[in-house]
Amino acid sequence: MKRKIYGTLCGLLAVGMVAGCGTQGTASNAANGGNASGTAQDTAAEGEGTDAAEPEQNQAESQTITVWHDGDESIMQVIAEEVNKELEPENVTVAFEKKSGLTDQLQLYGNDEENGPDMYFYAHDSLGMFAEMGILAPITDFVSAEDEKDLLPMTIEAGTYQGTQYLLPVYYETLLFLYNQDLWEGEVPETTDELYVYMEEHTDTAAGTYAVVNQHSTAYNVAPFINGYGAYIIDENANPGLNTEEMIEAVTYNKQFAELMGEGDYDTCNTLFNEQKAAAIIGGPWLVSGIKEAGINYGIKSLSEFTLPNGKPLAPYSGVQGIGVLKHAGENKKDAVASVLKALGKENVGISLAKKSSCAPANEKSYEDAEVAADEMIMAMRATAETAQPMPNLPQMSVMWGPAESFLAAVNKSGEDVATAAETYQQAAVTAVEDMQ
Amino acid sequence: MRKKKQISVWMHSLPAMVLIGGIIVFPIIYTAYISLTNMNLFHWDNYEMIGLDNYVRALFKVDTGFLTAILTTLLWTALNMVFQVVIAFFMALGLNAPGLRLKNVYKTLLMFPWAMPAYVSILLWRVGIYNTEFGLANKVLSALGFEKINYLSQNIPAFISCMVLNLWMALPFMIMMFDGAFQSIDKSYYESARMDGAGFWMQVFHITVPSVKPIMAPAVIMTTFTTFKQFDIIYLLTQQKGALTGATLQTIITYAHQNAFVSNNYGLSSAVSMIIFVLIVVISLFLNRGLKEEV
Repeated sequence: MKRKIYGTLCGLLAVGMVAGCGTQGTASNAANGGNASGTAQDTAAEGEGTDAAEPEQNQAESQTITVWHDGDESIMQVIAEEVNKELEPENVTVAFEKKSGLTDQLQLYGNDEENGPDMYFYAHDSLGMFAEMGILAPITDFVSAEDEKDLLPMTIEAGTYQGTQYLLPVYYETLLFLYNQDLWEGEVPETTDELYVYMEEHTDTAAGTYAVVNQHSTAYNVAPFINGYGAYIIDENANPGLNTEEMIEAVTYNKQFAELMGEGDYDTCNTLFNEQKAAAIIGGPWLVSGIKEAGINYGIKSLSEFTLPNGKPLAPYSGVQGIGVLKHAGENKKDAVASVLKALGKENVGISLAKKSSCAPANEKSYEDAEVAADEMIMAMRATAETAQPMPNLPQMSVMWGPAESFLAAVNKSGEDVATAAETYQQAAVTAVEDMQ
Repeated sequence: MRKKKQISVWMHSLPAMVLIGGIIVFPIIYTAYISLTNMNLFHWDNYEMIGLDNYVRALFKVDTGFLTAILTTLLWTALNMVFQVVIAFFMALGLNAPGLRLKNVYKTLLMFPWAMPAYVSILLWRVGIYNTEFGLANKVLSALGFEKINYLSQNIPAFISCMVLNLWMALPFMIMMFDGAFQSIDKSYYESARMDGAGFWMQVFHITVPSVKPIMAPAVIMTTFTTFKQFDIIYLLTQQKGALTGATLQTIITYAHQNAFVSNNYGLSSAVSMIIFVLIVVISLFLNRGLKEEV
């Protein structure tokens, strides 16, 4: 008898262990155009925070569009407030949910109507990967050219993959020249050659004091030189360009700056600038809060205002944050999705983002607001947008960062010959691109 | 009756078997299956069987760096284990020296690196010791009038730097194991040896080493595996995204990580993972045989 009880209990225990593997019944209401966010929050999003308060759910009247993001929650809050205000008459609500590791999450849930999101908010450089996976619907299915007429062309280009626009740009980031006004002597130069002369005169590597610091072996931070020289890390046909003549010229030119910039990693550069051991830093707007906390009297100059020896301006990469539509939502919630996109593209979202979160809006009209126009940092990014190039959004770019940065590190840190290293890492890049297939 | 007993045994072990099957066996079988397909970003839903192509690519295409990574891993494991065992042995011996005062204080302090989370230790070493601007190693060099050195920019210095950090992190465990093993040796052996005129080295090689061998073998085997599959130290010291140091060290685990998470080629990275799995199984069998002979 005892044996039977033990046996039954063990069997039940074994069955209980696999019970969780079954699919959970969900009150899916896709058919009536209803709300998938409840499902997403109950299952996939368990334990994750929600940015916007869950709206009162009266499914007969209102519709909720769930947006996954991996960004700053306060920024999403600003967007949600503006968009929800705009969408109130249409009974559509946007709910942002933070998902760390969004790329992996979308790989798992991109095609999952029940557990996945309706839209996603992310940087544009992952766009090609999602488009190749076939999980996205073109933005042009929901908005017209008229709706996008005020968006900066650079930001639209960023959201376009192989001729199809999949991302509606909302705001963007570029690198800036940030300097300590108490340490910098005289005017900030207009050319990179003059900047180099200033650096030579004001840098003492042995004492650990620098004129300018930059992450000199990080491809994103060297991109202003690479793009300025007309070189490219990867072209539109996914061909790596690490050994082109222009790239060798750009990397050789960057190397002389690197020699006067110390170790050049993110933490070291920031610490040197914040501890006033460096008079200037090339970095993004994300550094500003730390600089303010350090009590530095800082000034900002757009990188586009520096001219290279070839007469062209520095041209940094831009990272455009925008919103994309998952294919299933495009099919089942077309009207609600279209309303959300139209609301997001308006200038009031950009104005709020600029005022409350110091983001550079994708909508040109937002810059006409007096308060936005008076913001030095945002206007510097606006000026940079003229020469900035969107980071490549090809999926192959994800494997190019490694070889490109190894190339820069080999030249700047290990002292390898530029041409030799260019060949070595071009080969590594070609192999990496081939290995994706 | 016998059959009933057999069923009962199976029923009792069923929950554990389901658990092991679900979280250990199934992923291995699934990885093996994926390794035979061309599953990647461009064949996300429409992948198909391609036989052993991924294995051929991983093993026979020399420029993929896989073979170099295997050699680096073997060298890394061998050197670390030799240094760990020898240094820990003598440090534990020192801690057991008769008449040593504050023995317990030393032992507690020595445990400190082991108790710290690896991620914190590694980043502390990267910034606090090896950094060219703020690192202690360069501060000392500067104070002595020498030029700063970038310890992590070339492969050999970077390998040594990683090894020093690995020793710092791993020695406490080994010292503790040796310390425990030494307590089990009967002190009368040493007294007899001394009466017979045996010196320090004679006692070490003829009493201490043979006595601790069977006790230490499992600890050494465990540490060998930990060292073999070490990832954090090499990755965080030299390959952190956006902070490459110039060194191009790759162990098979960092190599597999680069293939699995960067290239999105799940077929190829599964093949690499299966090769690593087989390698670990072979080494495990080899070491277990050694262990049995020892005991």
